[in-house]
Amino acid sequence: MKLTPSVLEMDFSEAQKRICRFIKEYVENTGAKGIMLGLSGGVDSATIAALSSLAVGGDNVLALMLPEKENFNQKDIDDAKVVADKFKLQTQICDISSVLECFYKDIPVFESKDRLCKGNIKARTRMIYLYYYGNKLNRIVCGSSDKSETMMGYFTKWGDAAADITPIMDLYKTQVRKLAIHLGIPEELALKPSTPALWPNQTAENELGIKYETLDLILYGLERFMATEEIANQLIIHKSIVEKVKARWLANEHKRRNPIAPKMGYRTVGNDFRLPRHTY
Amino acid sequence: MILGSQDIRIESGNDMKDKIKLALAQISSKRENKEVNLQKIEALTFKAKEQGADLAIFPEMSLTGYVVRDQFYELAETIPGPTVEKVEALAKKTGMHVIFGMPELSEKTRATVFNTAVFVGPEGLIGKYRKMYLPTHSVFEEKRYFRPGYQTAAFQTDLGNIGLCICYDLFFPEVLRLIRLKGAQLIVCISASPSVRRSYFEILTCARALENTAYLAYVNLVGVEDGLQFWGGSRLVSPAGEVLAKAKYDEEDFVTCEVDYSDLRTAETFIPTLRDLRPELFDKLKEYSERL
Repeated sequence: MKLTPSVLEMDFSEAQKRICRFIKEYVENTGAKGIMLGLSGGVDSATIAALSSLAVGGDNVLALMLPEKENFNQKDIDDAKVVADKFKLQTQICDISSVLECFYKDIPVFESKDRLCKGNIKARTRMIYLYYYGNKLNRIVCGSSDKSETMMGYFTKWGDAAADITPIMDLYKTQVRKLAIHLGIPEELALKPSTPALWPNQTAENELGIKYETLDLILYGLERFMATEEIANQLIIHKSIVEKVKARWLANEHKRRNPIAPKMGYRTVGNDFRLPRHTY
Repeated sequence: MILGSQDIRIESGNDMKDKIKLALAQISSKRENKEVNLQKIEALTFKAKEQGADLAIFPEMSLTGYVVRDQFYELAETIPGPTVEKVEALAKKTGMHVIFGMPELSEKTRATVFNTAVFVGPEGLIGKYRKMYLPTHSVFEEKRYFRPGYQTAAFQTDLGNIGLCICYDLFFPEVLRLIRLKGAQLIVCISASPSVRRSYFEILTCARALENTAYLAYVNLVGVEDGLQFWGGSRLVSPAGEVLAKAKYDEEDFVTCEVDYSDLRTAETFIPTLRDLRPELFDKLKEYSERL
């Protein structure tokens, strides 16, 4: 197998159709009144917003914009509004700053300089807002995780990855960008640097230490059981880069699974209790 | 492989027609709801009858849905059993033949289950086929739940000699070759194939029909079960590998089409694969496959 960017090419019309059918059937089968999602102004959330709108109609999609003081970025709000207008979504803006301040003030061991722990509070607070709305309005919470970030564990446990459905989780970031453009999301938005918005000027590529164009090909090779050496040779990069990506991918399996329990009984939840997911 | 109890033949085949009409009933199943799925099977069998069809074919596990995991143990039934009796009554009432898929519970145990295709005619159960090749890779976990079948199935009926296979069996040319050598002129493959594998099945359905110079009716599930989307695309392929009729991709559909057995002679003379079979190679195949 040749690891070139062409391996990540796909029929985006077909992908759109398949994902929209998945969303529509899930919403219909659960009897939910629609979709709830966070709209950050980034490509992933813009893409799930567009797909949700195409699947169940913009009237049935409520997009929350959840800005906060420390990380406020008017450009992101403007981009989110462009998507909301284009796909005729319902929107609501909730400033989460005061809630965050309460956490910062009331958690006895809180330390502002620990930006990762602090940032995770933001991601989890956004999740609480989304689930409150979902619960209250009988809507499905639609997550925006993509395959690159999920494989790398680049998300907050029980935060941005918490959702009922994750329509683009099987697409790498570079594929999501192309799908976004295919859906009519402005190119400028589709190609802008991704950020989890946990602290100012944070970008995913800086933190991961690798460009998505390379990362996605490494992950694609790992997905297909290619040896690290083979991937490195094909991409003409140092083997240690591939090994680092592989180590991070494997180390983060705990974030992608249900909590682990010691095996005590006959069938164990999250282990060998294998039931169909009920959507009826 | 030998003939056994699964090769029940209760139709004489004496009045065999040269042309028969099939109804490819491409449905989505409501998971774990046999009652609703049976209603759908009934309604579409009546529709098939109205449209002049002789045989209505439903997908793999159409009785229960495909992704039901541990619930297979609760849903499985013996054959004959309550569901098959209902389908027998339906076939009798309509004068139709019906093929559908269900989890079959062994009569001799309490939790040994097979992935089975059931063939019923106006006079009752014609036979059943237990899937031989159980995919257990990627998203598939069939060996976790099912015991494989050990016999291929071809039944002499009033509609001709009809063979049965299920989904992943199509990847194994020897299964369909054996069905053909048992005399099947129409091979029915019921399936629950997910969208990511569509291209394989589009090739394999044509290849298996062509290499065996037999009609092949492929009926696939549609719908989304636990995120797994089934692509539909049910079809009738001619003995020369041409797609004669095709259902829509990804959505429920109902297509009728005609099998004309008189075309077999034309196909067999132009593509004489059966004449040219080399039995000695099968011994080698056995020898080498044991050494893999």
